[in-house]
Amino acid sequence: MKMNLVLELQDVPGQLVSVLDPISGLGTNLVTVIHQRDSKNEKGMIPVQITIEGERDNLKQVIQKLTDMNITILEKDGVIVKEKIITILIGHVIDRDIKDTMDQINLLEGISVVGLDVKLEEELESSAMIVIESDAGKKDMVLNKVQEIATYKDLLVVNEI
Amino acid sequence: MKELKLILMGFGAVGKGVAESISIKRNNIKDKFGIDFKLVAVGDSSSSAISANGLDEKLLIETKEKKGTLDKYPEFGSNINGEAVLDKVDYDLLVEATPTNIENGEPAKSLTIKAFNAGKDVVTSNKGHLALFFSEMIEIANQNNVEFKYEASVGGAMPIINFAEKTLPSSKIFSIIGILNGTTNYILSRMTIEGSSYKNTLEESQQLGIAETDPTQDVEGIDAACKTVILANSLLGIPATYSDVEVEGISKITSEAIGLAKKEGYFIKLIAEVSKHALKVSPRLIKKNSPYAIEGTLNMATLKTDLADEVTVVGKGAGSIETASAMLTDIINIIKIKYQK
Ligand SMILES: NC(=O)c1ccc[n+]([C@@H]2O[C@H](COP(=O)([O-])OP(=O)(O)OC[C@H]3O[C@@H](n4cnc5c(N)ncnc54)[C@H](OP(=O)(O)O)[C@@H]3O)[C@@H](O)[C@H]2O)c1
Repeated sequence: MKMNLVLELQDVPGQLVSVLDPISGLGTNLVTVIHQRDSKNEKGMIPVQITIEGERDNLKQVIQKLTDMNITILEKDGVIVKEKIITILIGHVIDRDIKDTMDQINLLEGISVVGLDVKLEEELESSAMIVIESDAGKKDMVLNKVQEIATYKDLLVVNEI
Repeated sequence: MKELKLILMGFGAVGKGVAESISIKRNNIKDKFGIDFKLVAVGDSSSSAISANGLDEKLLIETKEKKGTLDKYPEFGSNINGEAVLDKVDYDLLVEATPTNIENGEPAKSLTIKAFNAGKDVVTSNKGHLALFFSEMIEIANQNNVEFKYEASVGGAMPIINFAEKTLPSSKIFSIIGILNGTTNYILSRMTIEGSSYKNTLEESQQLGIAETDPTQDVEGIDAACKTVILANSLLGIPATYSDVEVEGISKITSEAIGLAKKEGYFIKLIAEVSKHALKVSPRLIKKNSPYAIEGTLNMATLKTDLADEVTVVGKGAGSIETASAMLTDIINIIKIKYQK
């Protein structure tokens, strides 16, 4: 049987090979690879769509292997597995206990903060970008939580459309 | 040939644009629709020029620009102003381009209701009375069986209201998400390209005449919120008013936040969201390759519909002639409905 995956990978030579090697070792064949380069972000990460063919058990092993390698699987057979949520907070982000902000988000089930980037401005104000990975279908819950924290700490939230 | 007698109230950027586009298109409209435009009165805040035989558009613009007020118009200038102008001369259609007032909708509200009650059609570029009293205004227009058109009030020359009503009548519109304010889009675009601060970019925009001396209506999202209300009422049938819109402007947006967003492939834009679930104006993250990634003073809107799926319109959200083009389109549409049976 065939399986379609969308992985998030660094767009540098060799990166794909280092992912595919272990896969071929598990008795599966690679059918197609499509790099979605127009969706590249400035960290150089791009979604890569791969189709692999093999026995059901082997395909399962592939998923396990990728998870062990810390590779983000965005989609499996057209179904979104992990959603990446990006949000920016503006204001006294650091003073108002940024660690607590992260902890509160991490406490939600199936949700983890995978990136934080903070820039300081004058007068102790700052802007922080938080990248959150969530299980499919939990985006609204995450955004509500972020809004709740922001309202309490008097921060401005800038969310995706 | 049939005549269409127009009164034009408000002779600023938009009003003058209307006069100019009438003079450019007069012959064209005669040929195409068999209607001769006659501007019988034009009013500013303190005076007017009135002549049942018609005024000269070029002379009106020259008088206003050189002398400041319309009472200086040769022979027909006077200090009659406001609603009184509408009593002085017979007319068919009021073109209303007075300043937007978000406190009480005046003078547009009274001028418009007076015209409706006299059985006259009205075309406006004003947002105040619509954002505050939309249903009331439509009801009075309907009671009097007159036409009321306001394409220019949302997005200037960007087609949206007529577009949705006339071009997409097969589809139900679920939501409209768009950039409805050119000034803030210009400021955010400059901040993104140059990495400059909000304060400096605002000042530069003021010097260029893109932002007004008092930029509050634009930068605090008030202007976009008015347009949100107009779209909610006219295209989604949501009987909302200005106070129903959740509004956050762009004045707290920092160049640092924009820089962070850029790193992940996003821009920050002031986005208006119109749907049954949300009436909201707020700064949002949009993907750099999406239809929302327009630069400068442009406006855009994506309409989500049942049959046509997503449809996006883009255009100039402001400007004298550009805005007047939308008002002239409204006038021509009224001609098609009422004068060409
Ligand atoms: N500018 C744009 O690109 C644009 C785009 C879309 C919509 N709009 C809307 O169009 C309208 C006009 O905008 P604008 O840019 O032309 O404004 P503007 O340049 O400030 O002109 C406003 C005009 O209205 C006149 N006025 C003020 N009070 C009046 C009254 N009581 N009776 C009659 N006239 C009165 C002013 O008189 P004085 O000349 O004596 O001051 C001026 O001539 C506003 O509602 C605006 O929101 C503008």
